[in-house]
Amino acid sequence: MALDTSIPVLVVDDYKTMIRIIRNLLKQLGFEDVDEAADGTEALGKMRERKYGLVISDWNMEPMTGYELLKQVRADTGLAKTPFIMVTAESKTENVIAAKKAGVNNYIVKPFNAQTLKGKIEAVFGD
Amino acid sequence: MQSFDTQHVGKVIDFLRNGRKADDVSLEDVMGLAELMAQSLQSYFKTFDVAIYRELGAMAEEISAMKRELSELQLADMRHQRIPEAGLELDAIVEATEAATNTIMTAAEAIMSAVPADADGYQQTVNDRIVEIFEACSFQDITGQRISKVVRTLGHLESRITTLVERLKIMQITDAPREETPEERRQRELILHGPQLSGEGVTQTDIDAYF
Repeated sequence: MALDTSIPVLVVDDYKTMIRIIRNLLKQLGFEDVDEAADGTEALGKMRERKYGLVISDWNMEPMTGYELLKQVRADTGLAKTPFIMVTAESKTENVIAAKKAGVNNYIVKPFNAQTLKGKIEAVFGD
Repeated sequence: MQSFDTQHVGKVIDFLRNGRKADDVSLEDVMGLAELMAQSLQSYFKTFDVAIYRELGAMAEEISAMKRELSELQLADMRHQRIPEAGLELDAIVEATEAATNTIMTAAEAIMSAVPADADGYQQTVNDRIVEIFEACSFQDITGQRISKVVRTLGHLESRITTLVERLKIMQITDAPREETPEERRQRELILHGPQLSGEGVTQTDIDAYF
């Protein structure tokens, strides 16, 4: 089954360059509808205004981290089923386990390449 | 006894009255007071015990030597010159890497959006942008030199702190219990470790095993 690249994607990162990198990689994969937020609070606000088909979020942000965003999303019945991929430099086992327990769909450690991003998105959507 | 009170204790009292407050006492003040007391009490104790007199003389000399050694550590130079300079170098590194990244990404985006159907125009765009990417990569040379300067400063700092710890025998003092700061608490609760060094942390393959 081909990946549905028409879904709106929300990229959450406090580092503008990383948003730009992910946006360009997504564009190469065919995703054109890409929105962005600089931290969890802004992302949560956008998610309550628009239904996104995928959230790709950094972990370490202020004031709201990606980990807190994930937990809030999973606790919100209207947002709980949104696919959520964590893309982060946090590479300790306890981070991965905590994210998994909180309901993350996949986890990418920085630095990463286009193939990894593509593979994880495909894995989330069962392709 | 009268001689001791007026001639020696008087100096100590003058020192203590010299505008010192409990929360404004430096290590230098403490050493100064100890040195003064050791010197002042020498003549007093000399009157009835030569051994104590000698001991006080040795203490006074040791304190003077320690003051000399501390001044040789050039701690003021570290605090006012080298550490602020290292901070500026790190800021410059962040700026340079950010500028280079932007240049490289802008060039890559231009190549990505170039139209292959126009073969000549496409070739020109690719060539021009590749040159820009090469030029932008020169940031690594400058930032490498800046990082070397910061590493040298950290080396100086480490060496001087080690010397200070040895001179003052600080390691013989047990660390007092300290309360967790709000920032430390946030880092612990939200599992914020930051990037790991090569070989530390888990790999993408390890992570994939969880999904």
